[in-house]
Amino acid sequence: MLTSRQIYIYLAPALLFTALFFIFPFVFLLYVSMQEWNGIGAMNFVAFDNFRYLLGDPVFKTAMINTVLWILAGILLHTPLGLLMALLLFRKPRGWKLFRVLFFLPNVISTTALAFLWYFVLHVSLGLVNNLFKTVGLESWAHPWLSDPGTAVFANMIPFVLYIGFTMVIFLTQMTTISPDLYEAAEIDGATNIQKDRYITIPMVKSAIAINVIFNTAFCLKMFEYPLLMTGGGPADSSINLSLYIYREMITANRYGISMSAGLMTILMGAAAMLLVFGALGLTERRGKA
Amino acid sequence: MKWLRFGFKMLFLLVTMVPFLWLILASFKTNQELFAAPFSLPKRWMIENYEAVLSSHPIPHYFFNSIFIAIVSTLLGVIVATLVSYAFMYTFKFKSGWLLLVTFGIFIPTNAFIVPYYFIVNWLGLYDTLLGVALVYAGVSLPLCVLIVKTYMDSIQHEILEASFIDGASVHRTFFQVILPVSYPGMTTASIFLMITAWNELLFASLLTQSEATRTLQVAIRFFLTTFSANYPVAFAAMVIAIIPTIVIYSLLSEKIIGGLTAGAVK
Repeated sequence: MLTSRQIYIYLAPALLFTALFFIFPFVFLLYVSMQEWNGIGAMNFVAFDNFRYLLGDPVFKTAMINTVLWILAGILLHTPLGLLMALLLFRKPRGWKLFRVLFFLPNVISTTALAFLWYFVLHVSLGLVNNLFKTVGLESWAHPWLSDPGTAVFANMIPFVLYIGFTMVIFLTQMTTISPDLYEAAEIDGATNIQKDRYITIPMVKSAIAINVIFNTAFCLKMFEYPLLMTGGGPADSSINLSLYIYREMITANRYGISMSAGLMTILMGAAAMLLVFGALGLTERRGKA
Repeated sequence: MKWLRFGFKMLFLLVTMVPFLWLILASFKTNQELFAAPFSLPKRWMIENYEAVLSSHPIPHYFFNSIFIAIVSTLLGVIVATLVSYAFMYTFKFKSGWLLLVTFGIFIPTNAFIVPYYFIVNWLGLYDTLLGVALVYAGVSLPLCVLIVKTYMDSIQHEILEASFIDGASVHRTFFQVILPVSYPGMTTASIFLMITAWNELLFASLLTQSEATRTLQVAIRFFLTTFSANYPVAFAAMVIAIIPTIVIYSLLSEKIIGGLTAGAVK
């Protein structure tokens, strides 16, 4: 009922965008990753030397490890916390709508502003956290959270782990699709609230768990603002991650080739993470529903 | 048990919200007060902190830049996404392949593309322009945007197409007069998503601009902090100015915004 030429008119702009912002950049990235290049002068083909350099660079190793730590924090801390809050709000206690709106608020505010806010919250002398410890007499707990190489990367993660609004809403939305009959039946059988959560709600939101894990993994892979603005990747590169590594190699060090080989590693790591996540969640099971 | 749950929620709310209140309170203090009495109310509310920010930085200009980029990237992204979603209402050759092609980008960590994006924008002659930044935002967000609009259009009864053809309408007329008017909810959702992402973005905005004339609010926040680093309350005032508009708009449209931002994930 429709000639193919007419379809392609509607398809064309999106294809152009995809070519310009995904396909060409990927080819360009592959090309640059095998060059030695400062962005202005001539390119010098070095084959896989950039990758060899990365594998020998301890900062890159830290960046890889920290990115994995970020992803783990997203999967093991942020997502469960979001699920817990969603379970609490799903019982529709008084004021649950207000709670929902307030918990979501930080997801609307820019990560840039949040990063600076938490930079000050965790600041060694004027920070909220350390001052709170002093006020309640736990002075020994005060700590230079952001300037200690042992805590910097974890301090960077605190706002992300706490601001669960997005994850929580996705859980809540899925929970509202569960048939109330199930809960009524469970009540007749004398199930407690915790049993209802454990045997009805959580199994019924499996696909929301999958979606959240995927979104949070993607978010953590792209994480840039918290490490850049809260610690600058320091001290001694202890809190650097892949995004910041790519950025610094390009902007600060002018090593475009190294930057893009790190970029390729990030994309590969993203692909590996997604495969793992999909595998763990049982893609086949989800396919049946979709 | 009930109290325990309530207490836990309140505690969590406290932990997430107190930093914001502390920020607002501290933005009205003097530097000495901030160090000496971090939790008390300011003795005198220092409106001067806000005056200092507004007089030393062209804040309205940064606002304009951010709004311009947000609007242009949203228009571009939504128009392209709507066109392609309309095409996907029909069956044609390799349809699922094409769909995969325009949406697979969701899984790409686009931060890895900073070098290509920098050169693409340069080659287009759009480096250090608002349009260049907007174009990149539209491109990067397109996959999720397509998913949002397409999911909405899928819920439209496809018989409507046939009815329109029987009435003698062309493909284009069907799009403009039949599909477009009923697709607004999906397009609004996608717009909200695009607007907020564009408004909050930092990496590409700082990569693709350099002069003060094209600085967005998020890039400007970075500069506030370095200019006022000796005077923290003034830096805090700058941050409050930067986040207040978002909070005001959110308080008016919270349900719509929550729906818009999570739409890409909730099918």
